[in-house]
Amino acid sequence: MSRQWENLQSRSFLESRARKRALGLVDPGSFTELAGPRDRLTSPHLPVLGEAVEFDDGIVTGVGLISKRPIFLASQEGFFIGGAVGEVHGAKLANIIRLARESFDRMLAADPHLPEDKRPAVVISFDTGGVRLHEANAGLLAHAEVMDQFQDCKGKVPIIALIGGRVGCFGGMGFVAAAADAIIMSQFGRLGLTGPEVIEEELGKEEFDASDRALVYRTTGGRHKYIMGDCNALVDDSIAAFRTALKEILSKTYNEIAAMGCIGSLSKVETQLKWVNLCAKLSPKDAKDVWRYAGNEAPEDLVDMPLDLYLKSVKRLTDRCKENQDG
Amino acid sequence: MAKHLHQLDFELKAETPTNFAADFQHYGVVGSGDMEVLFEHAELDGAVRVKVVTPVVGYDEVWRRVLERFVNETGIANASIEINDNNATPVVVSLRLRQALSELSNEGG
Repeated sequence: MSRQWENLQSRSFLESRARKRALGLVDPGSFTELAGPRDRLTSPHLPVLGEAVEFDDGIVTGVGLISKRPIFLASQEGFFIGGAVGEVHGAKLANIIRLARESFDRMLAADPHLPEDKRPAVVISFDTGGVRLHEANAGLLAHAEVMDQFQDCKGKVPIIALIGGRVGCFGGMGFVAAAADAIIMSQFGRLGLTGPEVIEEELGKEEFDASDRALVYRTTGGRHKYIMGDCNALVDDSIAAFRTALKEILSKTYNEIAAMGCIGSLSKVETQLKWVNLCAKLSPKDAKDVWRYAGNEAPEDLVDMPLDLYLKSVKRLTDRCKENQDG
Repeated sequence: MAKHLHQLDFELKAETPTNFAADFQHYGVVGSGDMEVLFEHAELDGAVRVKVVTPVVGYDEVWRRVLERFVNETGIANASIEINDNNATPVVVSLRLRQALSELSNEGG
């Protein structure tokens, strides 16, 4: 088991399947899957439409440990209907978060002085395009239920989002990820609301060419999101790298982690609105215009630069905005 | 006519059966052109019971041959096998079934 876990660590996060990611993110041998394949919780809607079903409905949920912390983990499988959220999939996601919060309540009731490093945390590996259109109403409702659970976790259980899968994190799940306390991405991770294909379909190829992969990545990819401050950490594409960043965040107190989020207080919303105004004023034609504004004199170089060099040299818009506020 | 998923059931027996020793094994993802398989130990007098759920019709005989070959070559016995298929080709089916078993022996080591 341990050797198998060791082998997982160097694996590409992008290329790994949801279950492998889950196993590798938590401490060796500590993962217990809940509502797994043997429970056969397949979608009730897909068979009616003649669509293939999966025993876990495209999401792995369970509990593991990172150091002393119980980790309530959900890992979406991008290869099953693009990781889309159907009724069962959404129920599993909402309930693993609910379980984390209920465990928190029980643990704190038993020991009000329980050290922070032993308290539950939620980790969600997103790999999804949002609502599963085959069961759209149930899928939308599931989004709302997940958001409810996020809200109930406020002040109690930190929620960390990981984005580094093939599908990225789009649609309604883009909102959900943005509501997490912290987001870890790889450069292959993509985060957004409306996916590139949908933008092109709605507004035309002149507005956004979804087949231009370089354009897609510099608009939705991890490197851009890091500059924009939409993600807190940008890591190498390996399970170990995500795990290391995760451990670092989880070593902080709840308040420190909650402060990392983009939303969650009036002053944070005001900051976000300032950025919206700023972007409207800049009226950038390309992500690179924003990168330049953030202080990157040769934005073109940032695209292909090795990641460690990128992290050393990149100027983030978040820092630039801080300077402006201070000055 | 309304579309629906199709279920195929097989009961097979290897020429030289060897027990499926593990409790269960799950492998694969139901991506496009792919499948998942769930093996579970079941006392079936040396036989193997297979249930396939697939959107595809008209390939019952191909499924039987692929599964027979897998059962005979691996000697798997006393197991229930459930497959969720999404248009996997016979080659992919054979590959995934064998990968599932080899992953099991890796875990033991």
